[in-house]
Amino acid sequence: MPADLNMKILVVDDMSTMRRIVKNILKQLGFSNMEEAENGQEALQKLRAEPFGFVVSDWNMPVMPGIEMLRAIRADEKLKHIPVLMVTAEAQKENLIEAIQAGVNNYVVKPFTAETMQEKINKIFNK
Amino acid sequence: MISRTQANPAVPSQSVDEDSDAETADTALYEKLGELTRFIDKTIKTISQFSAPMSATTEQLPDATTHLRDLRKLTEEGTHKVMQLVETVEDNRKRVFAQLDALERHLTGDNAAAIASIRAGLKKDDKPLIDIITALSFQDLVAQRVNKLVTIVEEVEHKLLELVVVFGPYTKGAGKEEAGKASEMLKQLEASKNTSMNQDVADEILKQFGFN
Repeated sequence: MPADLNMKILVVDDMSTMRRIVKNILKQLGFSNMEEAENGQEALQKLRAEPFGFVVSDWNMPVMPGIEMLRAIRADEKLKHIPVLMVTAEAQKENLIEAIQAGVNNYVVKPFTAETMQEKINKIFNK
Repeated sequence: MISRTQANPAVPSQSVDEDSDAETADTALYEKLGELTRFIDKTIKTISQFSAPMSATTEQLPDATTHLRDLRKLTEEGTHKVMQLVETVEDNRKRVFAQLDALERHLTGDNAAAIASIRAGLKKDDKPLIDIITALSFQDLVAQRVNKLVTIVEEVEHKLLELVVVFGPYTKGAGKEEAGKASEMLKQLEASKNTSMNQDVADEILKQFGFN
């Protein structure tokens, strides 16, 4: 099933530039309903407050890193179904394996292209 | 010096030898201790000579971290500026596309084909524009490395201050040491050069875990 272009997407990154870049790419891919969070904790608050269809998150963030947020999402009955794409500079194999074990849906290594992000989103939603 | 043998002839000869050996060992020990003391004294004096340049360097390091933070801020501001300009271009293009659509409804034949051709020409800019945006993700990598450098420089500053306090004339506090943080971050920076994955390697691992 292709991704619903109207679904609400949460973009989580401590860098304002990255949030804007990811939002621009998502916009280019046809998505229009996006919100932002600066760290995992803020993201969890938003996810628990309103329905989201997809999370795009960085790994390395203050307060709560992306991997902890991912584990919290998977441990929460109401949130665990939400697909999570990690877009991160944490480019060690161990990081990727840790993310897979925590339940990530796909993983994009920075720097990346719009095509890579589109491909990963398609893979997540066309399963 | 009169030995115990001379002072007391009744002492057996074996005991005389033992005393003599002990005396020789004491002398050697004193000599070694003297040598060690002179070495420590010389080392302290030598290190103290570095106190002034160390103090100066330590005082410069906060400036260095400020420069690094400025660098991060400048790249962030520059990145936002470029994105803002690209977003403006994209908004203008949307308006032009809408105008072309409106115009096309009133045209037929060659005129309609000309509009379609203009639209196709404009569409060619889609990819370069989004590529400009994604290329700006370099700023995030720069900021992360700058953050690590700032931590390393601050750690070095603390360690230098400690040396100044121990060997120099100043007694001001050097701040709290966060043991091993700088060397750990340096290792991370070094490791990322040699072992970081590209997307192909990440995809290969994802595939091994059943991600298609």
